[in-house]
Amino acid sequence: MSDIKSLPSSKTPEKVLAAVVAMRRAADQLERKAVKEAIEQGWSWSDVAEALGVSKQAAHKRHAAHIKNARVKLGKNNV
Amino acid sequence: MFKRILLRFRDMKTIGKLIPGADEQANIAGEEKPGAEHFVLSALNLEDGTARRAFEKFGVDSAKFQEAIKVQYDEALSSVSIAQEAIEITPEPIKSDKVVHDSQPSGQNLMKSLYALKKKDKERPLLGAHIIIVAASIEHGVIPRAFKVLGVDRGLLAKAAREELDAVQH
Repeated sequence: MSDIKSLPSSKTPEKVLAAVVAMRRAADQLERKAVKEAIEQGWSWSDVAEALGVSKQAAHKRHAAHIKNARVKLGKNNV
Repeated sequence: MFKRILLRFRDMKTIGKLIPGADEQANIAGEEKPGAEHFVLSALNLEDGTARRAFEKFGVDSAKFQEAIKVQYDEALSSVSIAQEAIEITPEPIKSDKVVHDSQPSGQNLMKSLYALKKKDKERPLLGAHIIIVAASIEHGVIPRAFKVLGVDRGLLAKAAREELDAVQH
């Protein structure tokens, strides 16, 4: 298997691992934002789960509380 | 004996501030669970001031440490040709309603090391400087990378934190 070209050389694991951590964190935050946006646009949890390639339960468990809290904060209780 | 009980009670109160403080710092940064770096940020806010003073010796405060955390993430993304601006991720603060505390593995490891360090230092209350000593001993991950961004030598920081501990009356 060939390496991803833009990754730092695997001979510098500290750099590669730092990149992995940063990408994972960025992906988490991007996912959270996108799911919130999707739900606000009227997507169902089934649609979100399908798009993410996870089960509906997994998507709901991971994101529902944050979205609910964000809505409560904005004064929208109709979650 | 009575002194030990009082110390233990005080330590529990400190932990009662340290952990929610770390949770809060993680949530502000848009993360669900606190990592070791969030415990450091929480320690900098502890009332005893020992962590804050140890950092001040290197011209670093809570805001500068937070910025260094961000910079090390940006640098790591840059190393794979991703500009932070390109993906426009501004961390959204999380409003968590969890009842049971849970940390990232780095946070759990920091707390384990803190427990081991404090076990050896029974005569003093738990102080912010204890957390800085543990943080300075971490060789890999966000904390040492943030220290590198700040140009802070981990050994010297641990020494500064020990001096803060020594300045506290037993």
